[in-house]
Amino acid sequence: MSEEAVPPWRGYLEAAGLVGLATAVCFVFRSRLQATDVAMLYLLVVVAVASRRRLGAAVLASVLGIAAFDFVFVPPYYTFAVHNAAYVLTFGVMLAVALVMSRLTARIRTQAEDAREREERTVALYQLSRELADTEGRGNQIALIERHLARAGGGEAVVVLADDSPDGGGPEWPAGELFESVAVRVAAGWAWKLGESAGLGTARCAEAEALAVPLRSAARRLGVAVVRPSAADRTVGDGVRRTLEGLADRAAVALERTLLAERHEQARLEVEAERLRNALLSSLSHDLRTPLATVEGAASSLLHRPDTLPVDVRRDLAETILEESRRMARLVANLLAMVKVETGGLAVQKSWQPLEEVLGVALLRLEDRLGSHPVTTLLPADLPLVPVDELLLEQVFLNLLDNAAKHTPPGTPIAVSAWVESRDVVVEVADRGPGVPAGAEEAVFRKFYRAPSTEHSVGAGLGLTICRGIIAAHGGRIRVESPPGGGAAFRFSLPLEGPPVAALPADRDES
Amino acid sequence: MAGPVPLVLLIEDEPQMRRFLALTLRAHHYHVIEAATAREGLAQAAGRNPDLILLDLGLPDAEGLDVARAVRRNSRTPIIVLSARGQEQDKVGALDLGADDYLTKPFGVPELLARMRVALRHAAVPADAPPEASFEVGDLRVDLVRRQVLRHGSEIHLTPTEYRLLAALVRHAGRVVTHRQLLHEVWGANFVEQTHYLRVYMAQLRHKLEPDPTRPRLLATEPGVGYRLRDELP
Repeated sequence: MSEEAVPPWRGYLEAAGLVGLATAVCFVFRSRLQATDVAMLYLLVVVAVASRRRLGAAVLASVLGIAAFDFVFVPPYYTFAVHNAAYVLTFGVMLAVALVMSRLTARIRTQAEDAREREERTVALYQLSRELADTEGRGNQIALIERHLARAGGGEAVVVLADDSPDGGGPEWPAGELFESVAVRVAAGWAWKLGESAGLGTARCAEAEALAVPLRSAARRLGVAVVRPSAADRTVGDGVRRTLEGLADRAAVALERTLLAERHEQARLEVEAERLRNALLSSLSHDLRTPLATVEGAASSLLHRPDTLPVDVRRDLAETILEESRRMARLVANLLAMVKVETGGLAVQKSWQPLEEVLGVALLRLEDRLGSHPVTTLLPADLPLVPVDELLLEQVFLNLLDNAAKHTPPGTPIAVSAWVESRDVVVEVADRGPGVPAGAEEAVFRKFYRAPSTEHSVGAGLGLTICRGIIAAHGGRIRVESPPGGGAAFRFSLPLEGPPVAALPADRDES
Repeated sequence: MAGPVPLVLLIEDEPQMRRFLALTLRAHHYHVIEAATAREGLAQAAGRNPDLILLDLGLPDAEGLDVARAVRRNSRTPIIVLSARGQEQDKVGALDLGADDYLTKPFGVPELLARMRVALRHAAVPADAPPEASFEVGDLRVDLVRRQVLRHGSEIHLTPTEYRLLAALVRHAGRVVTHRQLLHEVWGANFVEQTHYLRVYMAQLRHKLEPDPTRPRLLATEPGVGYRLRDELP
């Protein structure tokens, strides 16, 4: 690097100066020196110049040396004429030494530069690999790769991936100023087609203002990276190109892995969705068929000779229809919520709510179901607002209360309480029923789980799974405990996080 | 029901639902005209000048919101929106556009009839009529002239904001009022997004006016939509 920074004339000046110095020294001591000694000194000058400077300076040193030697020290003195042919050989040796030395030093210099470049490349590759390992997701990785390529190329870089399908078409060049240039598009096209770099700094389509490097893994081509050096120095040296190619190869390996992982995840989701669909279908057919049969039976007996039925029977039948249809509505609501939770399509729209209000809606809605169960609520007056999606949290309360009503003997109390615990609000719905069987504390939250004692009862076994999904979507946790006094206590936490609420405006009495 | 028999326009695309509603309403002495599409519904609304419109939000040929908007452009006919659970955004949209109330399917007939009664009663009051001087439901009495709130005959002290909130609900008694409308009426146009104001003051009101604030009888929550001050106890 220092070599290139020094202008060439310095080398020539040094050559001339050293030859002059050698001539002066030899002239002073000429009475004691043999001609061969003088020749050796000039040779030393040539070697010295050749080892430090470029070929031109070395040749100049040898030519000047030969001329001075001939002029001053070779008889006839002070002419360029040479009488003894042996001196011609000396001249030849001097010239040859200059050439050989220059070549040798040049090679050493190139090797040193190569080593330095290799080291830089290794560092760049290492950095990219390390950062790629810490980066997840295709988009983030591409951004990272573009940043590294841009830095190595001294300008900007764009990564374009081909269609994801196994043998989809080539990459589609994105809109943007970079790809407006036809030459850049052609170069990128070559790079994709041939799997070799094209464009600026290569033999192919060199007129492009950017270099296109293919992104390929061992198995397949992934896309193209286009690197455009900044306008100030729009060149790509061989070393830089090799660095860019190295980076592109490394990037391709990482991208390939990410793409494969994405595809696996996709496949896994599809399998999961398929399983859910099957489970939902069987649940639908079983859990809807029962209330449907009841509704049909009750309605048809109402229609069939209604005059013969006593009034209270007619009323009973109508009530059955109403009750069963409500049950079906609850089931359908839960099934829909289940699909949302499972497919990750659960859009949580959080806003700061008083728990009391959400609980109130659920309590009113379940009034008939809760029937003989006295429900006590214990919400401290200073309980803060909680950031929740009111409709989803209502579903949690509905499911927990409905469960409690379903699995506990009539007349047993249900208690809902809440308190603040560090940065969470914790809510508990506790009943005094048989409780959750030991060891089933996790299983109850599993899809389609049914309590062993209620095998016959209706319910899709989805309620608690949905609760867990909804609470998780709020960043909280739900679990069941068996309090010492018996019964089951479902406890869930809701983090008090999110943008703070604006303070309420003053509300003072004017009086 | 005093006066002539009200004419109800029923815009609903599902035949069973339409049949059930029409039968029920006729049994309760309403005149009913039916429409299965938004186009037909709008034509009927313009041609027959109904007293009330029941509008399903899930019509095949147009967004329910657009129908509500088109009706509102020409008339003050009360609109009650029918929709499925989960369509809260649409309901709120329709209500903010000027629909009077909504019912979430499935709903019971008593609920439907109550909503219709309230909507018809509000429509019967001329727009320029002087506001009611007082409001009474259950053991609650609100004297809008003296700005007095009484429960069991004894005065309840409300803060100015609490009173404004209650008065706004009284103006729409029996009908749902969206969060946005309430915030606009009580705090002003700049505060329509601050729903937590509303929730805090509503909780305070309930603690002062309801025997059991977790089971409100008067100040009902309409989840995801707004609040309703009941004008008759269930």
